[in-house]
Amino acid sequence: MATQSYTPVPPGVGMEDNFLSLDDILLSQEKLPCRTETAFPRLGFLEKSGDTGDIQEGTKMEMPLWLAKGLYDSKRRVVAVDLPKVYREGWRTVFGADPNVVDLHKMGPYYYGLGSQLLHFDSPENPDIAQTVLQTFVRRFRRIMDSSQNAYNEDTSALVEKLDCMERSLFRSGQAGLHDFQRWEKGQSSQMTASSLVQNYRKRKFAELEA
Amino acid sequence: MDPSEVEFLAEKEMVTIIPNFSLDKVYLIGGDLGPFNPGLPVDVPVWLAINLKQRQKCRIVPPDWMDVEKLEEIREQERKVGMFTPMPSPYYMELTKLLLNHASDNIPKADEIRTLVKDTWDTRIAKLRLSADSFVSQQEAHAKLDNLTLMEINTIRQLFLESLNHMYKLRTNMQPGKDSAKSQDF
Repeated sequence: MATQSYTPVPPGVGMEDNFLSLDDILLSQEKLPCRTETAFPRLGFLEKSGDTGDIQEGTKMEMPLWLAKGLYDSKRRVVAVDLPKVYREGWRTVFGADPNVVDLHKMGPYYYGLGSQLLHFDSPENPDIAQTVLQTFVRRFRRIMDSSQNAYNEDTSALVEKLDCMERSLFRSGQAGLHDFQRWEKGQSSQMTASSLVQNYRKRKFAELEA
Repeated sequence: MDPSEVEFLAEKEMVTIIPNFSLDKVYLIGGDLGPFNPGLPVDVPVWLAINLKQRQKCRIVPPDWMDVEKLEEIREQERKVGMFTPMPSPYYMELTKLLLNHASDNIPKADEIRTLVKDTWDTRIAKLRLSADSFVSQQEAHAKLDNLTLMEINTIRQLFLESLNHMYKLRTNMQPGKDSAKSQDF
């Protein structure tokens, strides 16, 4: 049984991210291609390629998701957010053909999360993105389920290599189910073992207490 | 849920034993057991049967279905039909394991029974995965779990529930304009 000293907060996956989820925090610094629609005076140091002190209107630059989300406003037009290439028409066709061959870890590694977050920026392609992301998940599901439920006592690194972060967590739950069952079948779960919390516990040294 | 917890639930099932000691009726919270007389069959829960067996105080009578012919029939039926067929006991897997591990000397052809039950189990798990996949790919909203046993559901539960949660989120993405209902999950 996996006993952990804390419960990790799962990623939000949808439009809303979970504030306390480590995955969502990592996701929020994914870079998005943007174009500025107003000049940013004296912020030139943010853009390494420019040597002027200001960021001119119409500069193309990359912004982390959290910044783009903060600056984006459909009425005031501060920045325009482009789609990363994985979500563009060309790649969408690839995902439509066979999502199983794509290395989502290289493309993502937060393909589903970022795909959902992109819907915050009003783009005419939004419905298509949402549809593609959903279909990709649905069609990759079988493989994740089968490989996670069948790989027992073998090296799984080749199986998870091409999986997106969210898919990896699914894979882990599948493996946990399989391992629990196999342990029970072999009669290992009836043996009592010390809790992992107790095993990890070390007595604090006197010196630490004194100090 | 851990498989050992499912096994714990299975231990409440009744099984017939033939004791070789005598004891008056025992009054327990879960019901009265006994009286026990040497040679007279009596129904007790599995946990008690195993305990008595370990102390060599009884002989366990295997349940009706724990029989090579019946199990072969069930296995063939399971392979033939596309749906899940009803199992002889909601805890067939757990009971087979418990009884065969602790009382294999009271059960004729124990090894064959073990193989047959395992075969049936494998067929059912393959079916379960197939239906889980079609459930996801057709994006259904509900499914009936007729004739599935707790242990079977338990092996796939965690993975499946997480997947469905993710799928639900990805699906709500397709209906924009519901942003007003912003809320955190917890």
